[in-house]
Amino acid sequence: MPASWIFLIVVVLAAAGYVLARGRAMASAGGDQRRLHSLPSYYGTNAAMAAAVPALGLLAIWLIAQPMVSDLYVSSGLPEAIQADAGERSLAMADVRRVADGLDYAVSQGAMTREEAANLSVSANDIRERLGAVGIALGSDVDETTLELAQQYRNLTNTGNTIRTVLVLLVALASFGAAYMMTAKDFRARNTVERAVLILLIAAACVAILTTIGIVFSLIFNTLDFFSRYPAAEFFLGTTWQPSFSGRGGGSELGFLPLIWGTLYISIIALAVAVPLGLFSAIYLSEYASKPVRSVVKPLLEVLAGIPTIVYGLFALLTVGPLLLSAFGNDGVLQLGWMSGGTAAMTAGLVMGIMLIPFVSSLSDDIINSVPQAMRDGSYGLGATQSETIRQVILPAALPGIVGAILLAASRAIGETMIVVLGAGAAASLSLNPFEAMTTVTAKIVSQLTGDGEFNSPETLVAFALGMTLFVITLALNVLALWIVRRYREQYE
Amino acid sequence: MYDVPNSERTVTATDTKIAAKGVQVYYGDTHAIKDVDVQIADKTVTAFIGPSGCGKSTFLRCLNRMNDTIDICRVEGDIHIDGEDIYDKRVDPVQLRAKVGMVFQKPNPFPKSIYDNVAYGPRIHGMARNKAELDDIVESALRRAALWNEAKDRLQAPGTGLSGGQQQRLCIARAVATEPEILLMDEPCSALDPIATAQVEELIDELRQNYAVVIVTHSMQQAARVSQKTAFFHLGNLVEYDDTNKIFTNPTDKRTESYITGRIG
Ligand SMILES: Nc1ncnc2c1ncn2[C@@H]1O[C@H](COP(=O)(O)OP(=O)(O)OP(=O)(O)O)[C@@H](O)[C@H]1O
Ligand SMILES: [Mg+2]
Repeated sequence: MPASWIFLIVVVLAAAGYVLARGRAMASAGGDQRRLHSLPSYYGTNAAMAAAVPALGLLAIWLIAQPMVSDLYVSSGLPEAIQADAGERSLAMADVRRVADGLDYAVSQGAMTREEAANLSVSANDIRERLGAVGIALGSDVDETTLELAQQYRNLTNTGNTIRTVLVLLVALASFGAAYMMTAKDFRARNTVERAVLILLIAAACVAILTTIGIVFSLIFNTLDFFSRYPAAEFFLGTTWQPSFSGRGGGSELGFLPLIWGTLYISIIALAVAVPLGLFSAIYLSEYASKPVRSVVKPLLEVLAGIPTIVYGLFALLTVGPLLLSAFGNDGVLQLGWMSGGTAAMTAGLVMGIMLIPFVSSLSDDIINSVPQAMRDGSYGLGATQSETIRQVILPAALPGIVGAILLAASRAIGETMIVVLGAGAAASLSLNPFEAMTTVTAKIVSQLTGDGEFNSPETLVAFALGMTLFVITLALNVLALWIVRRYREQYE
Repeated sequence: MYDVPNSERTVTATDTKIAAKGVQVYYGDTHAIKDVDVQIADKTVTAFIGPSGCGKSTFLRCLNRMNDTIDICRVEGDIHIDGEDIYDKRVDPVQLRAKVGMVFQKPNPFPKSIYDNVAYGPRIHGMARNKAELDDIVESALRRAALWNEAKDRLQAPGTGLSGGQQQRLCIARAVATEPEILLMDEPCSALDPIATAQVEELIDELRQNYAVVIVTHSMQQAARVSQKTAFFHLGNLVEYDDTNKIFTNPTDKRTESYITGRIG
């Protein structure tokens, strides 16, 4: 039985359980709701949760675990030589799974009978052709071992699915039965449901945390792999970024410093644009603007947030870059000669800053609005002007939230890629001149991974090291900000 | 008041500090104050009493134009302070509020330290020439609001961390520190214990030597103790306004009598 059916059955069971348990509770109180410990709906909810939560939890775990277990078991049948290399092993297993899935699909389409599928042999049947006929394309002819393992895999999956169906439904029934038996007028259903809700909420929080940990782990192994092929000191302290794709590893210089320098430089320019403009427009909108002005300007500002970053990138490339060049370039009106091409840190930074204005302004506006009116009244009542009130009362009260908004903008800036690719250029340079082309960590991750490089040379693996380092840096930034906000809160709340 | 610095203003020694005539206040369609005439004397404590929701706070907020900050609120009629119309276009409400201080019904300390809360007004109005003078202003304001003993060791602690009654006294200290000519106090003792109440009443009595004080209170005893004049509001009307003695011993209006003897409200 497919998992979706099991899911539906459990849900139906839970709904029925709700009605049954509610009825039983009412019956035990002789139909008088006042004699129950909890409201009738709590008894129903309790039974419904008992039916659904453990069973669905088991189903979820099973769905994740079964393929892993089958994989592990079946792959032990592969030739020793293939098993030794992780890459080849996973390729071989992908073939096995593909054949197995293909056979299952052919059976479900009626192109093969069940017996036929189970008794195929490489010599007698052209498996590749028969699967191709139902739309499953295989890369190569199927060999003896692959077919054998695929059959093994199918058997395992089939048995697993049967056990899964039985087990999940049994758990649902048993747990519902227990809850139903407990349902009586003095059963403290309200407290039980409350505790169950708490556990569900904790579980939801755990999923978020576990995913984060999972992301870190998926980066960590490749990062370690990279550092086993390229010295860490040269990566972190190297001042040149010059990957060579031709030779295998030899000749590449993968220094991290110019990239992080570009990232921070462009982000700082962007924030220098976005924070004052965003904050000032938030103050104007929340404190000075009349209702009609506000109702027009605020949505207009938020439209900025909806523009895709690639469009900003084009704007940087086609408008801002040439404009800056005509002012600061060699033949520019200012005769400064600071800029030699349209793509520069300044171009990307300015455009990114414009992109971030709505982030800062929208969040800050909400935060400023949530400062209680009593606080403003207190200040006005002492004879303070509007700007004195804003500077000395409202902004300090809203500061933790505003810092949060700025940090959000900062992480957007650090993670932004498209504007950089189009606006800042591709040359990694450690320069102080903001009118020079620069590039960022994210842009380089993209350029290292596009193309057909395999994940076995430092030139591609470096992307993981870059990602990991960026992750650590933004994490540190967030922790720092949390610390600042908390210190501030302690002082004033 | 027309944007003239405090020092250049000549004090006219009229007896009447505030003269209100035909004041109407509307919140949208709600008619909250109905045609109120009242003359509030200088160097006097005037008490506003009346049942909850009758418009005491609303009328008080008219006197320093705090109602300006409420969008739906509309004020009609004349209110003159020292003979000048405070709703005149040329009047700067900011200057007005520096002269007419206010203690709000709900304590609203700023999210700043106790010291900075009290120093807020003096700093804005440049009342202290140096840190030492500011320290003195803060100390004397806190003393007068009967908060000094509790606060002197934690001046840098946040004002929001004080208890409800302490916050109320902090707000009194904050208003007093600005040295207004008129002090409007909206139920300043609602969260105070008898000892602190007595100290605040002492302060009110002391302020009377130089200022006009208007106090809203739900305590008849307090009105009788501290005020010389009493105004009784009922459903947005000013029912009776007279010497406190007269109101509490021999009220003219039946509604006043019922209220002070505890039959309405
Ligand atoms: N901001 C406002 N918006 C709308 N209506 C208001 C507002 N403030 C007060 N009102 C209304 O105006 C009337 C008078 O309110 P006000 O606060 O002046 O009463 P009060 O006499 O101070 O009462 P209390 O003794 O409870 O403080 C009430 O009916 C109230 O509902
Ligand atoms: Mg009130």
